[in-house]
Amino acid sequence: MNTKTLSHLAIWTLTLAVFWLLLSGFFKPLLLGFGLFSVLLVVFLLQRMDSFDQQPEQPALGIPSLRYAIWLVGQVLLSSVKVAKLVWSRNKALSPAVAKLPLTDIPDNNRVRYANSITLTPGTLSIDIDDQHVTVHALEQESIEELQAGDMANKIATVLGGKS
Amino acid sequence: MILETISNILLIVGAFFALTGAYGLFKFPDFFTRVHAASVTDSIATILLFLGLILRTDFDLVAVKLVFVLVFVLLTSPTASHALAKSARHGGVATLAESNNKDNTDG
Repeated sequence: MNTKTLSHLAIWTLTLAVFWLLLSGFFKPLLLGFGLFSVLLVVFLLQRMDSFDQQPEQPALGIPSLRYAIWLVGQVLLSSVKVAKLVWSRNKALSPAVAKLPLTDIPDNNRVRYANSITLTPGTLSIDIDDQHVTVHALEQESIEELQAGDMANKIATVLGGKS
Repeated sequence: MILETISNILLIVGAFFALTGAYGLFKFPDFFTRVHAASVTDSIATILLFLGLILRTDFDLVAVKLVFVLVFVLLTSPTASHALAKSARHGGVATLAESNNKDNTDG
């Protein structure tokens, strides 16, 4: 085990310990012991899985992730209003569209984040994902064009992609 | 007082979006468009309702737990939607555009 793996595991241990403390809020020795045990168990499993798949992943807690999350919430707000308008409008016929978007610019470990971001935004839904493309179903052609313009893909590739 | 007002507004708007999702679920014509309607409840309604609830706490551990719940709901609900949509797609459910084309060529 080299220093890189050790610091990787140390970061996870710290994150999980803070997470456990925030969830519990108790400082009795017995409960702290349980907490310590569960954190160590999770870190042990993590280490086993990392050595199996060779894709160690840091907890995404940095400033870039936070900025991306805030931007994404903004997008969710905007597109929710659009979808709500479609839901309550009386006579607008729906014209849903399906398109394949390229995934090749996005690093492997961020493709799930990309597909999840697409699904989280109302009005667009990722319905299939493979090595080259993600298939997107959208309520309006316009949303597909927005995705094709690549704002979200660029943000993911530049803001979050540095860690791969 | 101000916090309570903001919280009330957030809760009411969140409830409105949840209702929108439910109404859209009935109104929209096919499977995929209905998932879109449901995702309004999943995303924006959840965010607004939880923000409204957080403003009503004393900003202690309860607020932190609400933030955790919000984050995990936002991480997992798209995964569930994607799983549904993917299995529908692979199970051969046609999208609205595809079934329209089929009707035209048949008729």
